[in-house]
Amino acid sequence: MNAIIDLSNKRILIIGASSGIGKQTAITLSQVGSKLTLVARNEEKLKMVLDDLEGEGHDYFVADVSDVAVIESMIKEIVEKDGPLDGLVYSAGVGMAIPFMQSKPEKVQSTFNVNFFGFFEVVRQISRKGRFNPGMRIVGVSSCASLRGDKSKAIYSSSKAAMDSAVRCMAKELAEKEICINTVAPSMTATELYNYYIEKYGKDSKTNKELLTRQYLGIAQPQDIANAIAFLISPAARFITGITMPVDGGLTTC
Amino acid sequence: MTDQEKIAMLEEIWELDEGTLATDTVLADVDEYDSMAKLSLIVLMDDEFGVKLTGDVIKGFKTVSDILKLMVIA
Ligand SMILES: NC(=O)c1ccc[n+]([C@@H]2O[C@H](COP(=O)([O-])OP(=O)(O)OC[C@H]3O[C@@H](n4cnc5c(N)ncnc54)[C@H](OP(=O)(O)O)[C@@H]3O)[C@@H](O)[C@H]2O)c1
Repeated sequence: MNAIIDLSNKRILIIGASSGIGKQTAITLSQVGSKLTLVARNEEKLKMVLDDLEGEGHDYFVADVSDVAVIESMIKEIVEKDGPLDGLVYSAGVGMAIPFMQSKPEKVQSTFNVNFFGFFEVVRQISRKGRFNPGMRIVGVSSCASLRGDKSKAIYSSSKAAMDSAVRCMAKELAEKEICINTVAPSMTATELYNYYIEKYGKDSKTNKELLTRQYLGIAQPQDIANAIAFLISPAARFITGITMPVDGGLTTC
Repeated sequence: MTDQEKIAMLEEIWELDEGTLATDTVLADVDEYDSMAKLSLIVLMDDEFGVKLTGDVIKGFKTVSDILKLMVIA
């Protein structure tokens, strides 16, 4: 069999791996041969994900990436222990709905710290000589929100748009190092974030019904997003860099 | 915190003139009490009182005083 996606023995770092999309991506990448290093703040949850992985040689590291000052030493330590990286998936993110007039500077700052500044610094640190293997591929988990205007999403959408925009620029500089970088832009996906949304609005609410009209293939499963990430992180996507790939059940066609 | 201070907080987030609301104001009679106003309330309650409002709790609010009862600093 000629498998399109084969990541045998590729060392991939997943940040935000303890739940949701990051967790499902870890499981999926382990099934196609990757050796993973998982990062998040909750050690118990990371250990549980580790138990769900196939194959050997996986590792984890507990860190809060909203504190950009810790990122350099974290990456150094990971590379010393697990070797140079072949890939990064950055799935750490927070996304509260906050009306614009209540979007105080400290809320803007705390969202950007995780969704954007952490990503920016991790990419910078792993792209230093000796910390990556040629052909390294990076996937940031952005959001369709970056491409659309929506009430109460000014902070979240702009943090994801910043990620997409940075990736287009980084792609050009990092190509010289044989590094490719892209983002995926999921629409509403069935993770804790969606459960919280349903708890707030109700499954039969007008808001949820309207969402399903726009996102006409239904609510994404974490596996749908993990599959797109697995493709973009694999050598099969070698000719793709600097893009934002919607994985959105049709949302951006509306 | 007095009821008057709590009401002032609601008037501020809903951008209502001072004195628009009273404890017995029926929320259904307030034009500005729409889905965005409810979201503003969720954010206010979380930020200022550490209270996480759910859709069901919000549905149960009939008058301003129903909201005031939950505006308690833990
Ligand atoms: N679910 C959706 O509908 C949806 C749609 C579009 C885009 N997205 C994006 O997809 C990504 C993953 O979302 P999800 O739905 O899978 O959410 P989730 O289940 O809440 O997962 C978020 C992950 O990020 C980690 N994390 C959060 N803050 C962190 C920090 N400061 N340092 C280190 N790790 C941190 C969390 O782990 P710890 O709590 O253990 O640190 C967790 O592993 C996010 O970037 C989100 O914006 C989600």
